Amino acid sequence: MNLAHVHLLLNHTPTIGFGVAICLYAVAFFGKNESLKRTGLVLLFLAAVLAIPTYISGNFAELRLCPEGECLSGVSRALIRSHEDAALIAFCVMEITGFLAWLALWQWRAWQRVPGWNSAAVLVLSLATFAAMANAANKGGEIRHSEIHPPGDAVVAADQAEPGSQAAGDAAAAEKTGEGEGLARWLGAVMSGTTGVAWLWAASETIHFVGLCLLFTVVLFVNLRLLGMAKSLSFVSLYQLLPLGMIGFGMNLVTGIGFFMAKPAMYDTWVFYWKIALVVLGGVNVLYFTMLDEVWAVGSGDDAPASAKGIAASAIAVWLGVLFCGHMLPFLGVSF
Amino acid sequence: MMEFFQWLEGIPFSVWVREAPTVWAYPTVLLLHTVGMALCVGVAAGIDLRILGLAPSVRLSPLEKFFPVLWGGFFVNAITGTILVMQDATSKLLNVDFYVKMVFIALAVVTVRLIRKRVFTNPRLDDGPLSSDAKVLAALSLLFWIGAITAGRLLAYIPSFA
Repeated sequence: MNLAHVHLLLNHTPTIGFGVAICLYAVAFFGKNESLKRTGLVLLFLAAVLAIPTYISGNFAELRLCPEGECLSGVSRALIRSHEDAALIAFCVMEITGFLAWLALWQWRAWQRVPGWNSAAVLVLSLATFAAMANAANKGGEIRHSEIHPPGDAVVAADQAEPGSQAAGDAAAAEKTGEGEGLARWLGAVMSGTTGVAWLWAASETIHFVGLCLLFTVVLFVNLRLLGMAKSLSFVSLYQLLPLGMIGFGMNLVTGIGFFMAKPAMYDTWVFYWKIALVVLGGVNVLYFTMLDEVWAVGSGDDAPASAKGIAASAIAVWLGVLFCGHMLPFLGVSF
Repeated sequence: MMEFFQWLEGIPFSVWVREAPTVWAYPTVLLLHTVGMALCVGVAAGIDLRILGLAPSVRLSPLEKFFPVLWGGFFVNAITGTILVMQDATSKLLNVDFYVKMVFIALAVVTVRLIRKRVFTNPRLDDGPLSSDAKVLAALSLLFWIGAITAGRLLAYIPSFA
């Protein structure tokens, strides 16, 4: 099993998983069933969390399909590029939808109701996400499934050009380098500074550090309180801080994906696989603090139940682990 | 002065931190510096943002209990920061950006201490609205910490002047 295999395993969650989630949410939305609606929101959020390793593993799959820049026979670099761009757009919309779905869960717990604007925004955005993701999935399927290419496809045409003709030569050259093609590669080049935005990498690193501090504000206040520090704070009051942690995470997701897009091959290392796996665990972890009654019931002066303390300790360990893996990338991973 | 910087760089501990091919040398010192930042600025930013009006139902007075976490992170960073400067003294100590960072940290520490002394000693802290002085201090503290992080990160990019 390699990372290409992981991509194949994960790549059904943002489409099939998200589709199931939308159906549940839409039925609940129009049927006004609150608990079913929350189930739908949880699934939408989890699909958005799993979309992170799905997007990232796609780049590793490309490195397996096109080792040393030379693609395996029958694999079209142009198809990969078009899949990557469609996936990037779908990924961006899905992360926004996932954030709003989480916000709806948070609002429901905080205020016992979700404002109408957010319920509607989740519905509309999730439909847009599904359309974008289905498009990305379709383009992804074409990479290794020639049986689904429509006849006369522009990409197929390159393969069918007269050998030795100008068209075939151009196509082959573009196939080989994969340069100058597509949105994702362009953004990656802008991030890496090779297209002239030299300060962008350093600025993004600074934002990544500030985001890390905001995330740790919430991780420390909430989890140290549950472990027994400053017990006069109720969980209900600290709950107001959770969106701040999400904003810190969002800052780091945007800048982090930017670093990754600039130099995907640099991240093809076990330290980074662990980092992303821990981020997924962190996503599951935040659902506990957003949803569960046992932690919500921890009032001013209360000792948190043992299970809440266990989860709190695991939350600190998970986020320290994310920090550790990110920090160790240049030292334990592929050297930068 | 330069001889002193060279001497600092040349003592066996500095050489070990800089050159030992083990994860326990430079990588671990730098890791602790990042973890210290997360503890110190994480807590400071939380207190600052609360004073500025975020999460109003979190009572401020119990947050005083988190100051030891803040100072714990700060002292980890004072120690690891000293080590990081020692092992690269001829470059770091001749970099304007390093002194910018030190000024930001000094100012940030002053604001944190003033917040502790002026804001947290009020026995009726959670009974009424906070003074505008408290809010100005909190905003400055946030600004100085972000300045320190930015200057610290840019140390890897801004060349030294010698």
